[in-house]
Amino acid sequence: MASIREALLAAAIVAIATLASVLLRDTLAPTNLAMIYLAGVVAVAVRCSRRISVTVSFVSVAAFDFFCVPPYLTFAVSDYQYVVTFAGMLVVALVISAQTARLREHAAQAVLREARTEALYRLSSRLAGETRVFEAARAAATLAEEVFGARVVMFLPEDGRLSFRRRTSDQLPVPPSEESIAQWVFDRGHKAGVRTATFPDATALYVPLRGARETFGVLAVLPDAGGRIFAPQQQHLLEVFASQTALAIERTMSQRAAEETRVSMQTEQMRSSLLSAVSHDLRTPLASITGAASTLRSQDHRLPLETKQELLESISEEAERLSRLVGNLLDMTRFESGGVELRRDLYPLEEIVGTVLQRMERQLEGRTISTDLEENLPMVFVDDVLLGQVLWNLLENAAKYTPPGSPLELAAFENEGAVIIEVRDRGPGIPPGEEERIFEKFYRASSVNVSENVRGAGLGLPICRAIVQAHRGAIQALARPGGGTVFRISLPSESKTASK
Amino acid sequence: MKPLILIIEDDAQIRRFLRAALAAEGYRMQETTTAEEGLAQAQARQPDLILLDLGLPDRDGLEVIRGVRQWGQIPILVLSARGQEKDKIAALDLGADDYVAKPFAVGELLARIRAGLRRSSARADGPGSVVRFGLVEVDLDKRVVRVDAQAVHLTPNEYKLLQVLIQHAGKVLTQRQLLNEVWGPQHTEQAQYLRVYIAQLRRKLERNPARPKHLQTEPGVGYRLVTEDPA
Repeated sequence: MASIREALLAAAIVAIATLASVLLRDTLAPTNLAMIYLAGVVAVAVRCSRRISVTVSFVSVAAFDFFCVPPYLTFAVSDYQYVVTFAGMLVVALVISAQTARLREHAAQAVLREARTEALYRLSSRLAGETRVFEAARAAATLAEEVFGARVVMFLPEDGRLSFRRRTSDQLPVPPSEESIAQWVFDRGHKAGVRTATFPDATALYVPLRGARETFGVLAVLPDAGGRIFAPQQQHLLEVFASQTALAIERTMSQRAAEETRVSMQTEQMRSSLLSAVSHDLRTPLASITGAASTLRSQDHRLPLETKQELLESISEEAERLSRLVGNLLDMTRFESGGVELRRDLYPLEEIVGTVLQRMERQLEGRTISTDLEENLPMVFVDDVLLGQVLWNLLENAAKYTPPGSPLELAAFENEGAVIIEVRDRGPGIPPGEEERIFEKFYRASSVNVSENVRGAGLGLPICRAIVQAHRGAIQALARPGGGTVFRISLPSESKTASK
Repeated sequence: MKPLILIIEDDAQIRRFLRAALAAEGYRMQETTTAEEGLAQAQARQPDLILLDLGLPDRDGLEVIRGVRQWGQIPILVLSARGQEKDKIAALDLGADDYVAKPFAVGELLARIRAGLRRSSARADGPGSVVRFGLVEVDLDKRVVRVDAQAVHLTPNEYKLLQVLIQHAGKVLTQRQLLNEVWGPQHTEQAQYLRVYIAQLRRKLERNPARPKHLQTEPGVGYRLVTEDPA
């Protein structure tokens, strides 16, 4: 189509040159008329392919002879000097054609090169931030469609075999029967399909995504209408594209492997520190239970009644402590392994608060606890059991670490769309600089100076934080004006709108 | 004769202290260790109450509930592990009366057993026409509710909810059971209704709605109406 248009344009230019020459042939010498034709050749050479401009060179010489050299309208020449003119004109026309065409080709190549560089640049910058294999492939496929103006889809392997199910497009643009071709390409690492030696009858061209060590998938490209995709330049670009994508995928995978190693090393470290902390915390109550029980058994009749009561009390207290610790450990483990599923729903906050206070009656005996829940507080979108546990842990801590009889407050209000819940005490406060660290596992504030009996395992607050964060909220400890500590939980606005 | 309690629990240590505690209260006991045996003994001896552990060696404890409920209304008190709300709900929905989470203190267990036994004998008589708890007085015949001798207006749904809770006073009702009885079987997933109505009832009936004495929440499971002061 393009060549026909070029031919028509060339014919028009030659016709105009001829018309001009015929009009001017009485006023200008024929050698000058040749210049008009040469101008035409230049015009054609600038716009059209080399083949056409060469043809135009010959046609121009012929037309010059026919129309401008007497006798007119014949190819006969009266003056043989014109033969030199013809030869000169032809040589000049051919040189112009050749040079102009070469210039044009250079320019076109430069444009292509630039497009290619830009395409590859865009590819690498698109893939640079991608940390997931599939997303990288999808981004590359989308970009390839833009660059090549053809339908492109990438297939990735599933359990070691290439699968048409794991693809970057929603629809499958190639017949499902060609999965075996893609598999062949994936296995061999060679391209196949349209215009190749292997499976030339396929609907698409299949190019392997080959990285440095292995093949990560297959890129399928459907020929565009003009078949431009099969131009050597485009083919080359396509292959570079495929290998760049493969390298990006390879990098993503090795990054992930490195990350996994790092996490597992950290987990290992954490596990050993957990073991040492836990074994101490587990053994202490066990030791007192065993001790008390064996004393009762072996010396029962020699013990005063009062002592027996004391020993029995310590058995049940220590058992309770052990139970709490095991419970906390289980919770923490479940949170860390991602095994906690939030069962969120809309709840009036006062219901959750009420339940916790009622269940903690015994622990909070002798304390004044004032509750101050703002009127018309919106319902909160939470897991009631888990949020209850957060409040439980905070109140339990407050009861444990503040002087008996000092007042506690539980307040809730709305602030900038978030629901804020605060547990406030008038205890010794948290040493400055440790407000963050107390939420770390097994950390105990340096000021805590309580008997072994009330000491926890340093898991209560980390569990609170894990729960609040699972709700996309935040929890922090603040110094309270006038002395004491405020634990502030902030549940974001999305927590109160049912986004079910 | 003292009430007979059937224990279905495979752990010997737990049976040991249950035995000691129940004997001290004067209850008669029958111990079984499997679901199979438990079901057989339940039918043969017709106990007054069943203490059921959900983690049995041969079959799921839930099947025992299903089995017993096919022929009778013996109160079933479930011993469940901590934090397994799903199991608790399943047990209650199948017809268990109550649960105690392990580890539990004996005092709590005995209180629940007493409540269960009392409910089953009260069931025979049906609730009296006037029910009192705390400052609240409900006249079921006249449909009048008074708090501190002042008449309180309840909407029809609030009253219906209160009525259902009174019918099962002391027992945990799952959200599903409450929704089903008050709003009908097609509304059993709309727990938000329930929470709003419970909150309204608390505002009307409780002295401090934020620390309810009677309309208590069992987190993750349901609600319980407590009509007596804890002994």
